Amino acid sequence: MNIDRKQVISAMSRIEVQGNEEGLIPGFNVFVNMMPAHFWNSFAERLTRRVPADMLEAAEFLLVNAAHECGYHTGYGIITSNEWKAAVEPMIKEVPEDILHGAFAVFTAWGWAKSEIVELIPGEKMVVRAYDYYESDGVEYGASSKKSAYMIRGVSAAFMDLAYGGAYDPSGKTGLRTFKCEQTKGIECGDEYGEFVVTKA
Amino acid sequence: MTQYRKTELVLNKTFDPKESRHRIDGSTVVLHCHHYTALYTQLAMDCSMLDAKALMSECSEDCWQDYLSNYYKANGIVSLADRIAIGEQTYAAAGLGKMRVNSAGMDSGEVTLEHSHVDEGWIKKWGKHDKPINYITAGFIAGLFAAVFEKPVRSYTATEIQSIVSGAACSRFNIVAR
Repeated sequence: MNIDRKQVISAMSRIEVQGNEEGLIPGFNVFVNMMPAHFWNSFAERLTRRVPADMLEAAEFLLVNAAHECGYHTGYGIITSNEWKAAVEPMIKEVPEDILHGAFAVFTAWGWAKSEIVELIPGEKMVVRAYDYYESDGVEYGASSKKSAYMIRGVSAAFMDLAYGGAYDPSGKTGLRTFKCEQTKGIECGDEYGEFVVTKA
Repeated sequence: MTQYRKTELVLNKTFDPKESRHRIDGSTVVLHCHHYTALYTQLAMDCSMLDAKALMSECSEDCWQDYLSNYYKANGIVSLADRIAIGEQTYAAAGLGKMRVNSAGMDSGEVTLEHSHVDEGWIKKWGKHDKPINYITAGFIAGLFAAVFEKPVRSYTATEIQSIVSGAACSRFNIVAR
């Protein structure tokens, strides 16, 4: 791995994001929004706690899917951006592995999850650990029996799609969902960190 | 009597490298894209087990009523005009669009969106839609009115009566006290 995570996180965490005169934030080929994490957490948590037990898996799939598509399109926007070219691209020697490591440094810098790849079998499997992530904030006391990091699951799978799923497809018809991700540990469940295992779909 | 806007929003943005969290005025904030917003909205529309559209609005209302109430308190924002100005600027700063509160009273109000992240993101992803979809903004507006008039959440209902996603030049919301 040739990525200097500290350097990338320092550079990418300083990027200023603010609305234009239209109140929109265009960037990385998408419209960006900057909302309190509490909104996303409360919707996901209330939804998954209110649906009947036999529908929980379907609800969780849809939450993960939202992040999967988001991670695929925005992830591509990030790794082709001028900011990426300035801060990360000069460190890349092994493609696509260094791109993946760089993507998780950006993932950390932007406050989605303090995360890194701890195992990578090119084209086959990736294990990610997250040592702090907003999706665990829903549990303020004790340990939950339900893992809640739907966003990290979706984005982790999307990053593997971008790395090993073929050429980027703006329509999402090919390339997207070639990988899937399971959460095996969670801070919200009492573990020291969240762990995410990405394998071929 | 009409009051005029004057106050400007000041955001205290920080990045905590130890936790890797971005915060504004102490609240953790995250960046997401229109794909994420559109798919969450679609999820709310498709959910047949419960009224997830109302749930989405309620989550937005809870979040923004809390945020704006704290902001007003911390910054000594007391006048109606200033509180509304801060609400409109907060909406824009979050990248949610350009909002104008046309009228506001204890019992009712009217709000217009000249631009909308939710609507324009939906159109960019899937094209136009025949019905309003902006549950997040309906919640924001209900939360804004509750914060402005120092009421608890669920004091107001904001109903989208015209929408950009359906082809209108602007979105319109009617607000009424419950």
